[in-house]
Amino acid sequence: MTDVNQSPSSPPSFRPAGRLPAEPLAAYTGAWDVRRAAHLLRRAGFGGSPAEVARAAAAGMDRSVDALVQFPATDSLPSGPELVADADALSMLPALRARLTDAGDPGNAALLTMRRERNRLRREQDRANVTWWLGRMLATPAPLQEKVTLYLHGHFATADNQKNVYGLDIVEQNQLLRRYALGNWRELTHAIARDRAMLKWLDNARNVKAHPNENFARELMELFTLGIGNYTETDVRESARAFTGYTFAPRTGQFYFNAARHDDGPKTFLGHTGDLDGDDVIDVIFAQPAAPKYFARRLLEFFVYSDPEPELVDALAALIRKNDFNMAPVFSTLLRSNVLFSDRAYRALVKSPIEFVIGSYKLFGVPDVTPDVIPVLGRMGQIPFHPPSVKGWDGGAQWLNTQTVLARENFASSLMTAGMQSKSFLGGGPPANARDASLLLTGTILQGDASAASLQNLEAYLDGHGTSANGTLSGENYEERIRGAAYLAMAMPAYQLG
Amino acid sequence: MQRSRFIIGALAGLTVAANADDLFGAALAQPALPGLPGGANDRVLIVVNLQGGNDGLNTVVPHGMPAYYKYRPTLGIAPNDVLRIDATIGLNPALASLKGMFDRGQVAIVQGAGYPDPDHSHFRSTEIWQTAEPEHYGGTGWVGRFLDESDLPATNLFNAVALAPVLPEVMIGRRIDVPAIGALHAYGLSSDGDAGERATFTSLVRDDRVPFSSPYLATVATIEDHAQRGSEELPKLVAGYAPSGAYPATGLGRSLALAAQIVGSRLGTRVVYVQHGSFDTHAAQKPTQDRLLRELGDALKAFYDDLAAHGNDKRVLTMTFSEFGRRLAENGSRGTDHGEAAPMFLIGGGLKGGVYGSHPSLDRLDNGDATFTVDFRNVYATVIEKWFGRPVTGVIAGSFPAMPVILG
Repeated sequence: MTDVNQSPSSPPSFRPAGRLPAEPLAAYTGAWDVRRAAHLLRRAGFGGSPAEVARAAAAGMDRSVDALVQFPATDSLPSGPELVADADALSMLPALRARLTDAGDPGNAALLTMRRERNRLRREQDRANVTWWLGRMLATPAPLQEKVTLYLHGHFATADNQKNVYGLDIVEQNQLLRRYALGNWRELTHAIARDRAMLKWLDNARNVKAHPNENFARELMELFTLGIGNYTETDVRESARAFTGYTFAPRTGQFYFNAARHDDGPKTFLGHTGDLDGDDVIDVIFAQPAAPKYFARRLLEFFVYSDPEPELVDALAALIRKNDFNMAPVFSTLLRSNVLFSDRAYRALVKSPIEFVIGSYKLFGVPDVTPDVIPVLGRMGQIPFHPPSVKGWDGGAQWLNTQTVLARENFASSLMTAGMQSKSFLGGGPPANARDASLLLTGTILQGDASAASLQNLEAYLDGHGTSANGTLSGENYEERIRGAAYLAMAMPAYQLG
Repeated sequence: MQRSRFIIGALAGLTVAANADDLFGAALAQPALPGLPGGANDRVLIVVNLQGGNDGLNTVVPHGMPAYYKYRPTLGIAPNDVLRIDATIGLNPALASLKGMFDRGQVAIVQGAGYPDPDHSHFRSTEIWQTAEPEHYGGTGWVGRFLDESDLPATNLFNAVALAPVLPEVMIGRRIDVPAIGALHAYGLSSDGDAGERATFTSLVRDDRVPFSSPYLATVATIEDHAQRGSEELPKLVAGYAPSGAYPATGLGRSLALAAQIVGSRLGTRVVYVQHGSFDTHAAQKPTQDRLLRELGDALKAFYDDLAAHGNDKRVLTMTFSEFGRRLAENGSRGTDHGEAAPMFLIGGGLKGGVYGSHPSLDRLDNGDATFTVDFRNVYATVIEKWFGRPVTGVIAGSFPAMPVILG
């Protein structure tokens, strides 16, 4: 239930009203239609084109989920971004070092010029990285793999062009997340502890016996695996010691265990004592009951609805534990579940800006992603590879404020003005009249999730409110009015919900 | 009734308390101020969030404490470089602009601000500073509750404004909705559709009678409605304000320039939130922190120069906070890890400048961290009672007496 019985000081809950189904994770056997097909494609991917939605509606739930979980190879897509410069140009380390030795003056003008040029190249590479990933989201034949990669990016949130993460660091991390999207997430966490971008981002590359740096060890437990309340400050300090010496070789960029900088003394971590290293710490963490629960809650918040009931969290946690953190069977079950297809989960999430933009591109058949969309996503509050912090994006109500909502509406407006071909989503010929056009638009864009009053308003708008002679949609303003009405449908509250 | 006391330190489970008068050596009695909502001389609070945990020890530098140099072999700021305030403390040289304001009596430094059982997580500790509720999470921010309790009209879209891409927790209330505005030029509908489109838009974005139920539906519809109305009004409302002097071309400079515009346009705005960072300097701290502190001081100076030129400097109080200070001992990466207590700055033409509270001991540490000497809720209570002339009831739970920082 929502917050009827909560005291005034309880945080607002965005849990849907109503009751959890008796067997929330059992396979859904109810009705299947266009609305549920579109819902599945929104949750397990970035929404569908009108043709994709129609195909999933015809295929039924099981075949649609099978196609998502047993995804095709994505080798045909570019596996990495365009390189704007070679590695030496992006680091400029040899050149900068030579300059420092020569001039010995950090204020040296030549040195500053080189730094500026290097930073410009890094920013350009970052734009290429972001554009590349957005392009994959749009074009992938395996939307679930890409969607789970986006989930994992928010989970193990790391930012490009900060903390000396630059060049292809973040891309290599992204490829790691994609490889493990439906793989084993304990193994993924072991790999994340060795990932160069993460070693830089949370400073573990500098975590040494003489001066442990706690940044990675703390966030590993707080944000990646257990959540606050399931460990102590002593556990943070002890596990930081265990991760000393986990670094990378500057020349190759490869992970490197520096035994000389590792603290091999005894440590006590979550009740285990011994000469623990970082990998021991991760195994101890994943044996805690809190670990599958933490992943279960985060997954439900992202894929199903906000503030999931403790019973639901426990049920999914048991499934994760049973599968030993192998996620393919977990997703296969969750994506067919009663709870996902209950009315309570329908449009119960706020679309993230990435879902909003890529979903709109798919809906209107935009063929590819250009870098111009990056600042637009920034105004909406989400640029991939640029989470606001290691906590990732909070999502939910946090996506919504006056600024970000205006940015969404302005994006929809510019999408409709800039070269959108109405034919691509109107199917065959032009609708006969304003009534048919408003039904077609709200059907395609909102799967009919509009009130009768809104339909009438759209119809009146398409009719021209007396500015055109009659209700027939023809003549010079036909295209313009259809685009205007499509923009208005995208500004409706239902279109903000996923 | 128990006498109100400051908690001045929680060390190894021992709570030391002292009377507020002893601590600050001045009478707390202040003439009553007009409560909210006021007239043209409405007072305004600017909240500056130094995100990421600013290293307080390299901000207000305890150059007179030998332990500081012992634990900070590479990061310690040499005594000759410190902008001296007294024999014990001084400011980081990057804060030269702020030191000038301090010397003119416009800056109060509250030393050693913190709270009991400090949390070392960025996210939880940020939440604690923004909600002022260390013991539990209630879902509202202290400014949000203050606005709710202040009889401000919910019809004003700009009772408070967050200059941030995401609405910060501190602004979340139950009655008053606060807009988040990244930049004025992006705060508007770009549609150039005809009148029919505008009118249809207005009705459609409020559509909440839909054939499904969603827990977010009402929130989306309200925000869309406010966004549309606010974006039409705000640019017009602030257009008449001409800033005086140049602001630094930094994010904080731009935010404070917009804050001055909003304050100067007298929209009934009582609180403006801005943010600056990230101060999370686990490695190579010095260049990052120096740059951020310089940007902070320079932007604040430009802000108060602009306010003064418009006669607004005495009605605008600025308060900085950060989720925690940083550990006394630097780490092996020329950085510092998460710590506890840190100073806060109060800035403005309407306060009694100086140094308040006592600097945390650097010899008696809590697991390597300097512990708090003033609870930050005392500072919030000061703002509510002395600056706004409102009771803290319903805003700050517990007894946290105001400090005599604000001029009556």
